[in-house]
Amino acid sequence: MTGLGLRYSTRQGEVRALRDVSFDLARGEALGLVGESGCGKTSLAKSLMRLLPDNARPAGGEVLLDGEGLLSLPEEEMRRVRWRRISLVFQAAMNSLDPVYRVGQQVLEAIEAHGVEETVASARARVARLFRLVGLDPRVMERYPHELSGGMRQRVVIAMALSCDPDIVIADEPTTALDVIVQDRILRELKAIQGQLGISIIYITHDMAVVAEVTDRVGVMYAGRLVELGETAAVFRSPLHPYTEALMSSFPSVSGEKRRLASLSGEPPDLADPPSGCAFHPRCAYATALCREQSPPRVGRGGQWAECWHPLDPAAVPVDPA
Amino acid sequence: MAGYLLRRVSQMILTLFLILTVTFVLVQAQPGDYASFYALNPDLPPDVREQMRATFGLDRPVWEQYLIHMRNTVTGNFGVSFGHFPRPVLDVLAERLPRTIVLFVSATAVSFYVGFLLGKAIAWRRGGILEYAATISGTALFTAFTPAFALMMIWIFAFRLGWLPVGKFLDPLVWRDADVSSTSVFSLMLLTAAAFLAFASLVSFASRRSQRIGGRRSAVPLLLAGALVLALAWYLSGIGNLALDILRHMILPVATLTLISFAGTMLLTRNSMLETVREDFVMAARAKGLPDAQVRDRHAARNALLPVVTSLIYSLVFAIDGSVIVESVFSWPGIGLTLLEAVRTEDLPLVMGAIVFIGFLSLLAHLVVDVLYACLDPRIRYR
Amino acid sequence: MRWSRSKGSLLPDASAGPPRVEPGGGRLRLLHARTRLVLRSFRNGAAVFLESRIGLLALVIIVLFAVMALSHPVLMGTVWDADIYDPVTGYAFDATEQPAPPSWKHPLGTDPLGRDVLSQLLFSTGSEFVLGITAALVTVAIATTVGAVSAYYGGLVDAFFMRLADLIIALPSISLLIVLSGLFDLSLFYLALVIGVLGGFGGTAIVLKSQALSIKVRPFIDAARMTGGGQFRIIFVHIVPNLLPLSLLYMMFTVTSAIFAEAVLSFLGLLDIRMSWGIMIHTANTGGYLLSGTRYWWLVLPAGASITFLCSAFYLAGRALDEVVNPRLSRRDG
Repeated sequence: MTGLGLRYSTRQGEVRALRDVSFDLARGEALGLVGESGCGKTSLAKSLMRLLPDNARPAGGEVLLDGEGLLSLPEEEMRRVRWRRISLVFQAAMNSLDPVYRVGQQVLEAIEAHGVEETVASARARVARLFRLVGLDPRVMERYPHELSGGMRQRVVIAMALSCDPDIVIADEPTTALDVIVQDRILRELKAIQGQLGISIIYITHDMAVVAEVTDRVGVMYAGRLVELGETAAVFRSPLHPYTEALMSSFPSVSGEKRRLASLSGEPPDLADPPSGCAFHPRCAYATALCREQSPPRVGRGGQWAECWHPLDPAAVPVDPA
Repeated sequence: MAGYLLRRVSQMILTLFLILTVTFVLVQAQPGDYASFYALNPDLPPDVREQMRATFGLDRPVWEQYLIHMRNTVTGNFGVSFGHFPRPVLDVLAERLPRTIVLFVSATAVSFYVGFLLGKAIAWRRGGILEYAATISGTALFTAFTPAFALMMIWIFAFRLGWLPVGKFLDPLVWRDADVSSTSVFSLMLLTAAAFLAFASLVSFASRRSQRIGGRRSAVPLLLAGALVLALAWYLSGIGNLALDILRHMILPVATLTLISFAGTMLLTRNSMLETVREDFVMAARAKGLPDAQVRDRHAARNALLPVVTSLIYSLVFAIDGSVIVESVFSWPGIGLTLLEAVRTEDLPLVMGAIVFIGFLSLLAHLVVDVLYACLDPRIRYR
Repeated sequence: MRWSRSKGSLLPDASAGPPRVEPGGGRLRLLHARTRLVLRSFRNGAAVFLESRIGLLALVIIVLFAVMALSHPVLMGTVWDADIYDPVTGYAFDATEQPAPPSWKHPLGTDPLGRDVLSQLLFSTGSEFVLGITAALVTVAIATTVGAVSAYYGGLVDAFFMRLADLIIALPSISLLIVLSGLFDLSLFYLALVIGVLGGFGGTAIVLKSQALSIKVRPFIDAARMTGGGQFRIIFVHIVPNLLPLSLLYMMFTVTSAIFAEAVLSFLGLLDIRMSWGIMIHTANTGGYLLSGTRYWWLVLPAGASITFLCSAFYLAGRALDEVVNPRLSRRDG
């Protein structure tokens, strides 16, 4: 099995949406990325697929897929990577389906564009298979998006993401717009499909419950930086970063919408003008003068690490951010 | 879809009824008596005058005249034209309506197509030279004073360059020895155009049914062959030069009408595209790895088309008014010129008939746009 | 409780509350606060308007034409002799041939009937303003009333006015005006009236009605109703003033279409008007001077350019104003 190396950092105009974010993803692994709104999760997803708007430009870094750098690929080759290698489950299924085409046609379109099937008939059979896989009647193919319920649309979007046998699926808040019961069912199905097909999934969410349920490892993002990364179980058992602890203590049991974090006062910082030192210090209960002045070092314990001057577990030792 | 169509058609009939009422009221309200116009006109022979009095019920009370007016219009009896005496109004209009429709439909189709293509292109690649050139020249043409612009076109292409005839429908010298009437040649031309359109839609439908992915052949050679066959048929028929003469006379008016109206569609498409490209489904299409042109045409432009088609209603009315002006400048004998001549010669029955036809034409265009919209937007279609 | 029609009450209802019965000082303060609010929103609006270079350009052109219009009576009163320079009845005895090319005495030459073109141009500018503004005022007066009334009452009233508007939109207005000019003798004033009525019951009414609908559901209307405000007063004191910014926008577009319609009808020789830009082109055209190309440029270019420039200036001013008053288009935040 080849390890997938992903290393990335960017700057959006004056706003540094992502700063020196690095992580890697193994085949068949489920990685969760959590954080409050506006911490750069969606920017990260878009920059992985090079779908950033014109005003954004990458500032250094590299995305490596099987050792191949994606950021320097010519546009035409990048087009082939999209969906064939990395696909995306969008945040809002209603808006990511084109209202004027039948949903089956929209899945078919991706298959045709990448030449995954030879004939229209076999491509249609493939779409039907995908629909059954995500728990939809194949006859739904002939429907228009506005005729489907929110859950059905989300399933269509998932089927679409799986249509070209991608290596990696990025699920950007895949269930936020749904009610809890549907949310739960879809997550479980996604997990089952992942096991069945052996793909890697990156879950992007603000919902710790989702992370706990479906991911193997979790990364916590704050103000455009990855502040903690580790095995999901280990992070939940004993977080290193105060921010991770705060996120967990506001663990929403019934979720669905953005909620104010109970134990966290204040707002996430303005990315155009991030605080000095550790970006979290204005809201941190453990902050000292050191935190205000200097960027925190990376400290770790086993496979888990955090960027903090005062990790919650004193046993954590400085590690080399390689 | 059927219910929607039915509703629109019944609304249209109601509107037509209102138009007829309005024209009747206008005639009643104008200074001078409608009855005296008909009954006392010294140009009319006494027996025709009597006949007129009977058909229009001129000696009856107003409300009865109104009912008679309605019945007459429905049965196509608009009376006799003064200016083209003794031809019935309907006869004059029936000869001229196709000419207006051809002028109007071809100019509208071309200007819509060109405007949409340009608008799409300048929204997709912003800030290019094309954007500036198209926006500036389009706005200039859009706001130019139509009659002056039409005259300028005549001056450039007919007088200075001498490429095209100055105006009118045909050249009498070409037609001197012809034993067919211009109307019948024109009808044949319309028939040809309709046949070609039917053939083209059949071909494009067939090419869409292809089963192999990526193996779709272009339909262009087949279409060219079809056009060639039709052209050959005209050449062999012996009246090909007559048809060509009419075509030559058509070019300048159609071009003028197209140039003054494409900018509206273009600017609208541009704005609509700029809204649409921000939608999530456009990014989704890009994420799916579709080629750039496919993202632009099949997703962004396809959705941006919807508001453009909605506002087509306004541009159609603009184009109908434009064709009245263009007809008058180019002496193109269509409904617009007929209306104008009738107004100038106080040929009241013809005026009424022409305005009813123009109203009918714009309502029909309205209906076509509605149906088109319903076909383009599934959210309407299945309501 | 009487609501005195003070100056503030005619302006947009920014304080969003029912009139309070307070001793004189309180009402004065209220009025003062309102005026300040209105002034501030006006200043903000003006800033947005002037920020768009197109709006500024349009404004400059309109002012330029207004100066031209005003200069005609002044020139006629001072340096221009009525026998020579009258736009309709004058004759340039000093020129050897008519139309005469531009000279010092006649900067834009003379027309085929020996009349000074510049004098005609300046005289007509005034009429165009009168025409455009009359039509626009009529349109706005009708459209705001129709819009507010059909939004407020809904039901049958609304259905009637909206069907009427649909009908008017569907009718090509120039063709209709041609017919009207054939049936009646249309003078400048009646033409303005007809254009205003057509615009007022047509598309403008639909736009203003949808705006009025969104005002109707705002809390201050309910408040006014609960404090016992009559229907008439709610419509004209609370709804109509809030429609005025949008009305102003449609006034601009009405001016454009009025000037254009007048020019077309005059060009076709159908109007009962003594002089206008359209008539100037009509005179040149019937004399056959237009097809001689650039040789007699002064007969058509000044009038044609004036029509184009003034029409597009009002149109562009409307577009720039759109950015200010149309909340949907306002993209100031991103």
